[in-house]
Amino acid sequence: MIDFERARSWRPGPRLVSMLVGGATAVLVLYPIAYLVQASLSVGDPQARPPEAYGLDNFVGLGRYAHIFGNTLLVAALATVLAVVVGFAMGWILSRTNVPGRAAFEQLMALPYYVTPLMGALAWALLASPNSGFVNQVWRALGGEGHLVDINTPWGIAWVMALFEGSVAFVMIGAVMKSMDPAMEEASQVLGAGRVRTMLRITLPLVLPGVLGAAVFVFAEMLGSFSAALVLGLPARFYVVTTAMYQLVSQYPPRFPTAAAMGVSLFAVMFTMVWIYRRIVSSGTYVTITGKAFRPRVMDVGRLRWPFLGVCIAYLGVAVILPVLTITYASFQHLTTAFPRAGNFTLVNYQTALSLDAVRSALGNSLLLGLATASIGVLLMGFLSWLIYRSRLPGAGVIEYLLMFPQAVPRLVFAFGMLWAWLIFPIPIYGTLWLLLIVYLTVFLPLGFRTISGVILQIDRSLEECAQMCGATWGYRLRTVTMPLLKPGLIAAWLLLFIASVRELGASILLMGPKAKVITPAIVESWFSTSTELTAAMALLQTLAVVAALLLLFAVARRAVQAGGE
Amino acid sequence: MARASIEVRDLVVRYGGVVAVRGVTFTVGAGEHLTLLGPSGCGKTTTLRAIAGLEKPASGEIRIGGTPVFSSAPNVNVPAERRGLSMVFQSYAIWPHMSVFDNVAYGLRVRKRPEAEVAARVREALDLVQLGELESRSASKLSGGQQQRVALARAFVFSPSVLLFDEPLSNLDAKLRAEMRVELKELQRRLDITSVYVTHDLEEALAISDRIVVMRDGGIEQVGSPGEIYDRPRNTFVADFVGSANLIRGRRRPDLERNGLVVLETPGGALVHGIALGRQVGPEALVAVRTVRLRLERARPATAVNAWPARIRQRVFQGDFTQYHVDWDGRQLIVRSAASDPMTEGDEVFVSADPRHCVLLEE
Repeated sequence: MIDFERARSWRPGPRLVSMLVGGATAVLVLYPIAYLVQASLSVGDPQARPPEAYGLDNFVGLGRYAHIFGNTLLVAALATVLAVVVGFAMGWILSRTNVPGRAAFEQLMALPYYVTPLMGALAWALLASPNSGFVNQVWRALGGEGHLVDINTPWGIAWVMALFEGSVAFVMIGAVMKSMDPAMEEASQVLGAGRVRTMLRITLPLVLPGVLGAAVFVFAEMLGSFSAALVLGLPARFYVVTTAMYQLVSQYPPRFPTAAAMGVSLFAVMFTMVWIYRRIVSSGTYVTITGKAFRPRVMDVGRLRWPFLGVCIAYLGVAVILPVLTITYASFQHLTTAFPRAGNFTLVNYQTALSLDAVRSALGNSLLLGLATASIGVLLMGFLSWLIYRSRLPGAGVIEYLLMFPQAVPRLVFAFGMLWAWLIFPIPIYGTLWLLLIVYLTVFLPLGFRTISGVILQIDRSLEECAQMCGATWGYRLRTVTMPLLKPGLIAAWLLLFIASVRELGASILLMGPKAKVITPAIVESWFSTSTELTAAMALLQTLAVVAALLLLFAVARRAVQAGGE
Repeated sequence: MARASIEVRDLVVRYGGVVAVRGVTFTVGAGEHLTLLGPSGCGKTTTLRAIAGLEKPASGEIRIGGTPVFSSAPNVNVPAERRGLSMVFQSYAIWPHMSVFDNVAYGLRVRKRPEAEVAARVREALDLVQLGELESRSASKLSGGQQQRVALARAFVFSPSVLLFDEPLSNLDAKLRAEMRVELKELQRRLDITSVYVTHDLEEALAISDRIVVMRDGGIEQVGSPGEIYDRPRNTFVADFVGSANLIRGRRRPDLERNGLVVLETPGGALVHGIALGRQVGPEALVAVRTVRLRLERARPATAVNAWPARIRQRVFQGDFTQYHVDWDGRQLIVRSAASDPMTEGDEVFVSADPRHCVLLEE
């Protein structure tokens, strides 16, 4: 009955496996950072590789750029306040009140995230730029002077960023509000406290750590954000750290050491913020919020339901509907104005976009990269999640920390390190899609890892152990139990990675080569160098391509499942 | 069906720096039903998982059917899937993406049995757990009790040499648990298979075991038949954990001891006669007497020893029995009585106990 022959067969020691995996992750993640730091300390000839001399001059010299750091903090702070207010209001309305259509709105709240800051920035530039913005055109047509709104300001950038991050804040704060045991509030009311007192003394203190955590997280993301600041800030010569870095690197002659010093400083601040965020989330105050699922107590707010409904519609309106409509409208215009005329409608932008080799190849490259990143990423990140949460490797915590590391590094900064690191790499991958693939796989490690490990953690370990007790070998278990159970999580991770890759800007814009362009940087280039209308068409084509690719994949996958099922 | 014995010797299991099991030794005879009983964190589940092969011990030896499946010297560690055991998990571990039939058939398909045999044996197993009509149902649509039965059928269908149970009934409600206890016992006897059962529930352990191993803090406190464990607890931990007991402390009175009985004098001067079972204690000692073994009477009973005056302080009616809190010797005793003639609070009564039920403890 018992098979003993292979009992002593060789298996790689867990220590060896974890050292290999940890080492590989460390190289992928830390290698570019090391080069970033090295570049920031180079004080000789800025073009020399490796640096001729080391020193702190670049950091001292950052004093001249104090206003840029000030700009960054201003935009990030404004956007964070706005995003958290939006997230808190929407979180409270959608999880605690009987506003009509709650369930539908909760689903729709994911949409702003998919609109991306770039789309939002393009759309709001069309809507609210001081001269040609639709809003200002209408204002002047109504007899106004100058301009009513100006999107090319810190406020404008913060506005666009907040609309996007609002949905992130909503997800984080809404989760906290939902996971709070309503009995805690009920206990307060039973003891005689009124609704307001309960809200102030019980509800707020309980959700405060969650709100604070969301604020810190959003602030950290804002510090490293790039696309909105680029599209909206550049026309007004308003720079934040990421856009200033981009300028320093892409100008001639490039000033790598100064850019690197900026990157290191930004990285240090963001790393601290992410660390604070983790501290808040794991602190003791959070234990009241258990993982247990409660039916959230819904408050009857009476007639206030309708204003609340208005708030929900308004947010989705300015964050999703208005931007998408604006881009769509502009893409069908010869020359975009706020006042549609029959003769102004055209398909020529799409014709141009589709006939340009550059656009076609960039779109093709992006889809190809998306496919590769998602497929390799799911395998890689799935393996890593399994290793960390299931195999009880020594040092799993350290590997997890390394994996989540890219979260604390703005993608542009990361790409900067990559630029230096891979320029001297013996295999010539610089300027090819291979480099972008490596970068995508690295910067999206936290995204894929989080998604997959979320599912792995939900799958009770005993489901796998039971298969083992039934006599199934490692491979058999993986095929019959682990993989089928993980399937929804793997598909979700695949989709997220695919979408994120196709729309990546911050890293791609620095690293793509002239012969291997990808679509998002091409859109930005087009915005600054060709027409607004063509750019709108390209942005819409990108979105359509993503949707089409996903639909196609779903159809193929469904057929495969049906064929395999019978 | 092969029935295998299990020998566990000097088993030590560590989690990082924490020692979960510290040098445990016991054997399970072929066909015997052994239970590991103890509070949570006592190492019982860890011991079971070490036998299963799901936990790698730090040292010691585990033999199944005489063959070592784990040994620290020489180095042997047979992976769980090749130990020929089976296990019922606390969470049931029913695979939600399979039908009831596929869940149960899993172990047979792993062993590449012909599909006709698989179908026949799965049906037989499902009939045995009274789920015959549910075989095509999706496993995610089962009640807790049904999942429990599927987990059982899945565990024994491929004729393992040993069945391991990890608190299999702890997720059921009290009524269902009592029913399943009886069913499980019948099934165990019918399958005639060696089993190791882990539970923290005393009644469960008493009901289904041939022998019980009481564990605490990673070590063994006592090994014995259910009767021995219940009536002759070795120390205060077992006496306390295994059902409710009154512990009475007193000074030894060797001058009064005869007929093999031990005599303690309480601080209040009462004399308590008990059995020593050959246990060695110092001049101060403890005896345990189960709350159900104490009798309450209105008149002084005719027994020569162990009858003391007392007063009812509180009466708690609990249905099957009534629990009395009795003032005795400057402290309280708890007495559980199924008598139909209820005492009332304040009554002057006599408490008595057969010396055979007053057990000297090793502390």
